Amino acid sequence: MTVPSPSGPAPAVTPAVRCRSLGVSFGAVRALHHVSLDLAPGRIHALVGQNGAGKTTLAKVLAGLQAPDSGEVHIAGCKLPSGDVRAARGAGLAMVHQHFSLPPSFTVVEALELTAFRPGGRSVFRRAELRRRWQSAAAEMGGEAVLSTRIRDLPVETRQSLEIVRALATDARVVILDEPTALLTPAAIDTLFERLRRLRDDGVTVLVVLHKLREVAAVADTVSVLRDGELVLGPSEMSELSQGRLSDAIVGPASGADRTVGVEATVDGERQTLLELVGVSSRESAFEPGLRSIDLSVETREIVGIAGVEGNGQRSLVSVIAGLNAVAAGSVLLGGTEMTRAPPARRRLRGLRLVPFDRNSEGISRRAPVWLNQSALRLIGRPGRRLPLISLNQYKRQATEALDHWQVRYDSVSQPAESLSGGNVQRLILSREMAPGLEVLVAAQPTRGLDFSATNFVRRSLQRLRDSGAGVLLVSSDLDELFELSDRLLVMYGGTIVARFEAPYDRRAVGDAMTGALR
Amino acid sequence: MEQILATTLRSAAPLVLVATAGVFAFRAGIFHLGLEGLMITGAFTTVAVGEATGSVELGILAAIGVCMALSAVYWWVIGPLGANVIIAGLGLTSIGLGGTAFALGAIFDVRGSIFTDVVLPRPVRGITSGPGVIIAEQSILVWLTPLIVLAAWVVLRRSRFGLRLAAVGEYPFAARTAGVNPSIMRLQALLISGALCALGGAELSVGALHNFTENMTNGRGFIAFVAVIFGVWHPIGAALAGLFFGFADAVGIQSQINITERVPREFVLMIPFVLTIFAVWLGGLWRRRSLEAEAGYAELREPDY
Repeated sequence: MTVPSPSGPAPAVTPAVRCRSLGVSFGAVRALHHVSLDLAPGRIHALVGQNGAGKTTLAKVLAGLQAPDSGEVHIAGCKLPSGDVRAARGAGLAMVHQHFSLPPSFTVVEALELTAFRPGGRSVFRRAELRRRWQSAAAEMGGEAVLSTRIRDLPVETRQSLEIVRALATDARVVILDEPTALLTPAAIDTLFERLRRLRDDGVTVLVVLHKLREVAAVADTVSVLRDGELVLGPSEMSELSQGRLSDAIVGPASGADRTVGVEATVDGERQTLLELVGVSSRESAFEPGLRSIDLSVETREIVGIAGVEGNGQRSLVSVIAGLNAVAAGSVLLGGTEMTRAPPARRRLRGLRLVPFDRNSEGISRRAPVWLNQSALRLIGRPGRRLPLISLNQYKRQATEALDHWQVRYDSVSQPAESLSGGNVQRLILSREMAPGLEVLVAAQPTRGLDFSATNFVRRSLQRLRDSGAGVLLVSSDLDELFELSDRLLVMYGGTIVARFEAPYDRRAVGDAMTGALR
Repeated sequence: MEQILATTLRSAAPLVLVATAGVFAFRAGIFHLGLEGLMITGAFTTVAVGEATGSVELGILAAIGVCMALSAVYWWVIGPLGANVIIAGLGLTSIGLGGTAFALGAIFDVRGSIFTDVVLPRPVRGITSGPGVIIAEQSILVWLTPLIVLAAWVVLRRSRFGLRLAAVGEYPFAARTAGVNPSIMRLQALLISGALCALGGAELSVGALHNFTENMTNGRGFIAFVAVIFGVWHPIGAALAGLFFGFADAVGIQSQINITERVPREFVLMIPFVLTIFAVWLGGLWRRRSLEAEAGYAELREPDY
């Protein structure tokens, strides 16, 4: 006599997504190893993990963009052929990519039509017909005018809406979003999460890759954790999971805690202005407004934060300070010396250092070996030496010391820099830029896309730098980071500084200034 | 004046055809510097097969086949084999120029030039004065060229195929997320490109002229490539640019006849090239904005090949 117990196994529901022992390797690197995962239909599943844990790879395998070396994927009970985007789309699975995945010169309708999977549709079209077909999509993005706008002219939020709209255009039953919050303002993140909840309520299964535990707690029903390519937790109900257990799963057993590294700046005790911009303007570029009479200064022993929605001139600002963009009016001073027209090398010799926006394309030479990337600064202007000769061995030795000091994880100093993980690339850049001689550091989005421990490491390093006497200009789109680190906070909007704040900061007031509500 | 316009059409037609070929390749993201080689191969094959069979249609079909086969080889070298696109393109040009010169000697046992009677029909003939001169004596391919350009416009700008091709050229990752195989798309674009080059070459040898001469393309493939850039890789734009270069050429030829007493011949011969440099400069100015925008996108780009 058997009575089904109420606490017994739940009735078997076909999982919306099922993967069985997926394995993917890139050369010697194991991106995924024996990952088996069942996602219940009609829920929001979060996928978390450190950088390089394999989250994006798993998402790509599910979407058919990456063929696994082993294992299989089932959507709603049907096995998918591996590495076939069309089959995945046909089975009702759509993916919203971390990096936007639409060609910049396409108009919105063209982009929608490019990815539409409507078998039997006519292959030749007229413009008006296209606009009619995608009218309903336009409503979600704020009006029909958007349909003939080029992708590159869209604000970040609209671009992401478009990615979601196009993912849903074919009645997707499973939507995968790869780090959708990375580029959004807090308000836009709320809107996005609201949208995900609506999708779930319509019965769509959502898998979202997230970085911040706060966001996981805000939106997810279940959470799964990847570490070093293996599934170490989940999917577990959020309600049954403590924050501590989750963090432990992500970071793994203590592996020699990350200590911060001491940095010695060469600035003496007296308070002085290290970097000053007076009435600086610059030409607009195609993707950012030009600067309009910017006044700002960075003094010794302070971190000045620059907040703002991306695309409001932050890139132009950093380029102008670094000497990569021409100044149309006004002047740039370093340590009181006029540097408006000085080439980048002279500015660096004067103590300016830079952590650029995009670490992979601007911060390192990707194909060059690790040691050469580390040594690059030492190659410009070595006063006091007459012969332009260098000793490779000495450079390699110095680079190795610096890399070990900054705890960069690498196999060999001769491996190409692009083979390092994101966090290690950022450590490499810091180890180079924070070398002696530093007076003022411009750090642009220094923690974007980094995992918890690497983010902490970078933030502590900036604080130590400040405490040792240097000035830091911190450009970030992460308000929490700015609030935590900045001694003063400036808000950029439309190419100029619209508001200045002192701690303690009022999140709402800063947010208003960021959206131009002050003007 | 009528003479200049007639000459313009005659020298522009091959340029426009080959420029259209270049647009297809460019939209797939390929800087096709093999246009010259394919063009001269097309010119030679048309004459050779035409002479052997007595049929100009068979000659053109053979030229299209050979050029498409060469394009497939080019695709294989730059795609699966991963060779540098520019170097492989220049190699293709060298093979075309050298190969046709060699074949001329090997097959017909002549050096330099071969005359042929097997030429394209000319729908309108016998007009010797007035505006009619413009369209008289033009080969059938000159008449068809506007239709071919229009067809290219529809395919590239008003079809799914065109959208996919543009995505492959601009941002391969976008194409992949749309379930498109960039490599196959590049092959298709190169095959179309090869067929158009064959037509351009045929117009040169058996449309405007009655012969094949070693190196008779004389840089037209490169000028066509310039027309692609100048026409911002738009099929109509490139065709207009081709027409413009044809006009420049015609002016050069005409003034050679008329004003050589007053201006040194060398200066007159320079006109097309000076105009080319000017055009490229203008095109560069026009494009600067879009290039900056693309630079801004660099960080979003995923290395795809």
